[in-house]
Amino acid sequence: MMQISTPFMPEKGVIRSIVPMAQDNYLFEFKTDTDRLAACKPGQFVELWVPGVGECPISVCSGRVTESIQLLVRRVGRVTNALFQMSEGDWAGLRGPYGHGFPVERYKGQNLCMVAGGLGIAPIRSLWQYVLDHRQDFGKVILIYGMRHSDEMLFREELKLLLQRGDIHVFLAADDATVCELPPFAMQVGRVTDMIRQAAIDHDFQVAICGPPVMYKYVIEELKAKHVTDQNIWLSLERQMKCGIGKCGHCFIGGRFTCQAGPVFQLADLKFVPELIECDNGGAQ
Amino acid sequence: MMDHCFVLAKDSFAEFFESLSKLGRVYAPVKVSDQSYSFRQVESHEQIAFEALRTILPPKKYFYPTQETILRYNDVQIEEHKPEIDFQILFGVHPCDLAGLGIMDTIFTAGPADSHYLNRRQSSLIVGLSCMPDKHCFCQSMGTDCPESGYDLFLTDIGDDYLLEVRTAAGVKAVDPIMPLLRAAGQDDESRYKAFWSNRAQAFTNGFKPDNLRSVMAMEWDNKIWDEMADRCLSCGNCTPVCPTCYCFDLVDIASLNGTSGERRREWDSCQFVGFAQVAADYNFRPGPVDRLKFWYRHKLHGFDDPFGFQTCVGCGRCTVSCPAGIDDIVSVVQALQATNQAKTKHDAN
Ligand SMILES: Cc1cc2nc3c(=O)[nH]c(=O)nc-3n(C[C@H](O)[C@H](O)[C@H](O)COP(=O)(O)OP(=O)(O)OC[C@H]3O[C@@H](n4cnc5c(N)ncnc54)[C@H](O)[C@@H]3O)c2cc1C
Ligand code: SF4
Ligand code: SF4
Ligand code: FES
Repeated sequence: MMQISTPFMPEKGVIRSIVPMAQDNYLFEFKTDTDRLAACKPGQFVELWVPGVGECPISVCSGRVTESIQLLVRRVGRVTNALFQMSEGDWAGLRGPYGHGFPVERYKGQNLCMVAGGLGIAPIRSLWQYVLDHRQDFGKVILIYGMRHSDEMLFREELKLLLQRGDIHVFLAADDATVCELPPFAMQVGRVTDMIRQAAIDHDFQVAICGPPVMYKYVIEELKAKHVTDQNIWLSLERQMKCGIGKCGHCFIGGRFTCQAGPVFQLADLKFVPELIECDNGGAQ
Repeated sequence: MMDHCFVLAKDSFAEFFESLSKLGRVYAPVKVSDQSYSFRQVESHEQIAFEALRTILPPKKYFYPTQETILRYNDVQIEEHKPEIDFQILFGVHPCDLAGLGIMDTIFTAGPADSHYLNRRQSSLIVGLSCMPDKHCFCQSMGTDCPESGYDLFLTDIGDDYLLEVRTAAGVKAVDPIMPLLRAAGQDDESRYKAFWSNRAQAFTNGFKPDNLRSVMAMEWDNKIWDEMADRCLSCGNCTPVCPTCYCFDLVDIASLNGTSGERRREWDSCQFVGFAQVAADYNFRPGPVDRLKFWYRHKLHGFDDPFGFQTCVGCGRCTVSCPAGIDDIVSVVQALQATNQAKTKHDAN
């Protein structure tokens, strides 16, 4: 009988460069032999494997994926610790791309606001890079990035360049800030919600959000105050993900596998899902 | 209906079994203790426990072992592990378990397909067998009490004979060598067959009606029953391996001592374990037993109606009999929820 092949086969990704970023975050660039990952869309993810240790889901961080892909990784536990011990020239495994990312085709011709909290900047970066590569296809573009402390800012240099461009409006906010070499208008003390209030967002904006689970509820409230509809709000959700392909059950919420139906969901599509603590819809059911 | 039906005299069962064993290893329920049965390899038809209802583990273990190697690696390459798969025959699978296999098939076939499960599944023959329910069986309530698919051959006990239904091409091939033992089913056989299934339909006694599961679960999501049960839950995870439709797993690395080679393995996992939905920064989406218990109930009762349109409980009663805390009694729990819900609705109406 014809046997089919495993869906769990990673391909080898050789580490081309490692750039230390703020705090415990490194930006890894991997080079692969195939162009399997070139299909990566903003907001999708890959399963990153450190042989002998394990796998974890990591968002595609670059808007242009060719034979090389950038991943921003925070050192938090077993797999990420092991990855941080690796050097340029070593290889790790990569499987993907998986899931539904941000619906860039749908955003075309419209105004777009991107909201990132903390490490949520990783998938949001793939989106802004994509948008700026196809800038003429989009209307007004706003980026709001919040963090706890200004020294946690990731992609500082790239953000400086964005601040100089006239075609994207960037708001940066930290709960707590020390003296910062960014222009004072750009870096403010406050939360992403304060920035949303300041930004010229109205009902005809599409909004893409990624951040810690607790952030979403407040962001959604603020967007509603600006009359942004549930159809135009897109959330990237984190869940434990072992397989990435709708088999292992770890990412199940409501009736769906987050790894396949998400990780990016339209808010309108998330009504009545229990344990969805990211928005108030959780409550009763 | 009797197109592909034959009559096999019970006296000829030994020869039927012999003929099956020529195709590959035969697995069937055997009695392993006073009260328990288990699917095991059998060499002779005398080992088969025809009276067995629920085996400790459902037959999923033959396609989806508790642990298996997925790939092997060393410092230069990664290689898929492709074990030799021998043809296997599962004998004595009851309707609930056939329905369970059907659900596992759906999950593992949905793209991208799971080769590890499907390669074994394709290399097997399933022979179903009729049964008479005990008090824990509620397949009838779940609509899985009659064999509808998932089998190649099915035997219904009609007294001194079996009525043998041949469902698939593999089934046709399997009965070919024993055709001389069989005779075409006639009218009398058909009436004995119908009598069996109608007697059996009346043998279910719990009267469980799984009506409005989705809305009952929604409206009773905060019912105190959940907290009372959760107080007794040991989070032991017994309810999941025994369930014919529980498919969750973990993927783990087993490194060799020299650190440069090893394998990646898949192991059964349970949504009842505390770390199942935990993510980095110690954030747990289902921190308490109550969160995990409700998740499991919801998943079994209507969790898959969005993507696949079916319930994932097939009413086999295994969780009920294997829960050490006695809280996986789906029938009683749902009946209690339905009762409070109805009382509320009545109250609101007044
Ligand atoms: C869609 C998605 C995109 C992500 N993108 C990024 C990213 O771009 N950069 C980044 O740094 N992090 C990202 N994460 C989070 C990252 O996957 C976790 O931080 C990572 O799993 C931690 O692995 P660890 O073994 O180092 O940590 P540990 O805390 O040691 O993990 C221990 C165990 O916890 C479990 N675990 C914890 N969190 C997760 C998780 N989210 N998924 C699966 N298992 C988990 C696993 O069982 C793991 O073995 C993303 C998560 C998701 C779901
Ligand atoms: S649950 Fe139904 S099919 Fe399963 S053993 Fe009981 S009666 Fe047979
Ligand atoms: S939930 Fe319980 S009764 Fe239902 S199929 Fe699973 S083990 Fe059987
Ligand atoms: S990550 Fe395994 S089912 Fe989604």
